[in-house]
Amino acid sequence: CYFINPTFSLSAMALTQVSSNKCAGGFQKVFEHESTELKCKMKFAVYLPPKAETDKCPVMYWLSGLTCTEQNFITKAGSQLAAAEHGIIIVAPDTSPRGCNIEGEDENWDFGTGAGFYVNATQDPWKTNYRMYAYVTEELPKLINANFPTDPDRMSVSGHSMGGHGALICALKNPGKYKAVSAFAPICNPMQCPWGQKAFAGYLGSDRSTWEAYDATVLAASYSGPQLNILIDQGQDDQFLSASQLLPDNLIAVCSEKKIPVVFRLQPGYDHSYFFMYSFMNDHIKHHAKYLNA
Amino acid sequence: MMTRLSTMNLLPNAQYELWVTATNTTGISPASEKALYMTVPSPPVIKQRECTSCPEAALIRWDSGNTNPVDSYTVELSETGTNGTESTVPTCQCLIQLQAGRRYLISVRAVNIGGPSDRSEVITVSTTGTFFHLLEDTAHPCLSISEDGFTIFYGDEELPISAMALDDNTFFTRCVAVLGDLIPVRGRHYWEVEVDDGTEFRIGVAYEDMERNTYLGANSSSWCMRHILSPTRHKYEFLHNGWSPDLRITVNPLRIGVALDYDRGTLSFFNVNLEQHLHTFHCNFQNHIQPCFSLDNPGALTVHNGIEAPEYAFM
Repeated sequence: CYFINPTFSLSAMALTQVSSNKCAGGFQKVFEHESTELKCKMKFAVYLPPKAETDKCPVMYWLSGLTCTEQNFITKAGSQLAAAEHGIIIVAPDTSPRGCNIEGEDENWDFGTGAGFYVNATQDPWKTNYRMYAYVTEELPKLINANFPTDPDRMSVSGHSMGGHGALICALKNPGKYKAVSAFAPICNPMQCPWGQKAFAGYLGSDRSTWEAYDATVLAASYSGPQLNILIDQGQDDQFLSASQLLPDNLIAVCSEKKIPVVFRLQPGYDHSYFFMYSFMNDHIKHHAKYLNA
Repeated sequence: MMTRLSTMNLLPNAQYELWVTATNTTGISPASEKALYMTVPSPPVIKQRECTSCPEAALIRWDSGNTNPVDSYTVELSETGTNGTESTVPTCQCLIQLQAGRRYLISVRAVNIGGPSDRSEVITVSTTGTFFHLLEDTAHPCLSISEDGFTIFYGDEELPISAMALDDNTFFTRCVAVLGDLIPVRGRHYWEVEVDDGTEFRIGVAYEDMERNTYLGANSSSWCMRHILSPTRHKYEFLHNGWSPDLRITVNPLRIGVALDYDRGTLSFFNVNLEQHLHTFHCNFQNHIQPCFSLDNPGALTVHNGIEAPEYAFM
C-alpha cells in the first residue's frame, strides 16, 4: 500500500507505476512522474523489501554513473537480497533529465543526457532542466516519503562513478542528512579530472570557484558536521582509475588530514563494471544497514 | 572402661593405621586389629591465571593441593545469592556450561575415601563477554607482561642467547609475540586492544600449534591486523599466509575491537572509538584458535576483555 501525504499537491506528487516485479520477497518497481526541478518526465526505481508491507523502512538512495538509466542498477547490481534481509527501501533515480530537446544534449556520452553530474547547472542551455542536485536531495525524497512507507529521518546515499561523486557530495554538503554514505569507484576530485572539468565547464561555467561546491575532495577539506563513516570500493583494474579520472588518493589524503573516517579498499582484478559492484554490494548494504537500523 | 584418644597433626590425604594396646602392671597386650583411617585431602588451589570464560561457559583449572593423588574433585557452582550445584570431576580442570550476563561463584573440593576437603578459595566468574589471560610461557623473551597480566611491553633489550637455543615450539623466537588463553568453546568471542599512534603491532588469532619461529600473519595458521609506520604514513594490513588486501584507513585506530565467530567463520576488526568496521577475514576455523598479540617495534599494547560485544560486532 502507498502512504499518501494529503498536504502536498496531488499533481506534483502523482506517480505512475511503469513496472513491478516480485524480487527477493519484496517488489522491484519503476515509477514515472513530472519533475518540478527538472521540468520533464522522470523515471525512478524503488525496491520495497518484505518489511515494507508492515513497517516503515529506512531509505538508501543509489546514484548511478555515466550513461545509466534507472534500469542498470536494478537489473545488474544484485542489491535486492541484501535490501530484503536488512529491510531497506532502495531508490535509484535516472542520471539526467530526458527528452528536453536541448541542443547538444546527445552529442557526448559523458556530458548532457545520462551525465547530469548531480549539480544544479547555472549556464544556458542547461540551467532550466539540469538540476539533478536539487532533484536528488530535495524533490525526490519528498516524493518518496509522500508515497511509500518510509522513515523520513533514516536515509543514506551511495553510488557508482559519477554517482559515487554524487553520493559523496550529497553527504558532505548536507551534514546530518544522510545516516550513511558509501561509493564504488567514485570520481573523487572532479575539478582535477577530464570528466569533471568538461561537465563543470559546461554546467557551471568557467569560474572554477563555482566548481568547488560540487567537488568531494574540496568539500571534505572544509567539512564540519556529524561524523561520517565512508566506505569506498575501487577496482584495481579499472581503466578509468589508470586514466586519472577517479583520483581517490586526493580524497584519502584530505580525509586523513581532516580525520574523516574512510575505509578505502582496492580490489585486485576488478574493473569499473556492474560485475565489480555486484561483488561488493552486500558489504555496502550491510554498511548502510548498520546506521539505518541503529 | 571406654577411653578415647584423639590425635592431632595428622597429614592430610594420608592413610593411617590405628591400633590399640592395653597395659597393666604385667605388661602390654598384643596389638588390636588395625583400623585404617584416611584423612581428608587439603583443599585445591584454583589457578586464577589459568581460568577463562565466555558468555556460555567457564574453564576452571586448579592445583590438587595434595602431593598424593586424590580420588576426585567436587566443583561447586552458585550464582550470587542462590543455592548452588555440585559436580564431580576426575581431573584438575572443569569446563562448566553457564548462562550469559551473570555472576557465578565457583569453588572446588578434593575428595578421597576419607571425604571431601575444605573448600578452596572462591573464584568469581562473570559471563559478560569473553575473558582470558595471556600465556606467559608463549611470550618472546623480549616481551614482558605487566603485573596485572594485560599489558605487554617490548623494550629495546638484547635477546638473551640462551633463549634462542631452545627449540621446543613453546615461546615465540622471532616475532615479539604472545598468545592468549582463549576458552576452547566455539561460538562468539570479542575483545579489544588499546595501542598508541606509534605502536607497530600485529593482533589477531592463531592456531595453538603455530610455528613459533615465524611471524603472525605470515603463515596459514594465523590471521592478524598489522600496523606499519612508514616515514610518510600509517599502513594497515590484514595478513594471512603472508597476503593482505590493499586498504587505506584515514583515521588510525587506537582501540581495536576483535570479533571472532566460529560458526560463521569470521574474524572482524573494528575501530571501537568510531564504531567503524575495518576488515573481516572469512575462514573455516577447523581447530580452536588463540588470540595473539605482537609488537614489531619497541612499544606497548593493552588487552581489554570481559567486555560485552557491541551490537555491530556480530551484525
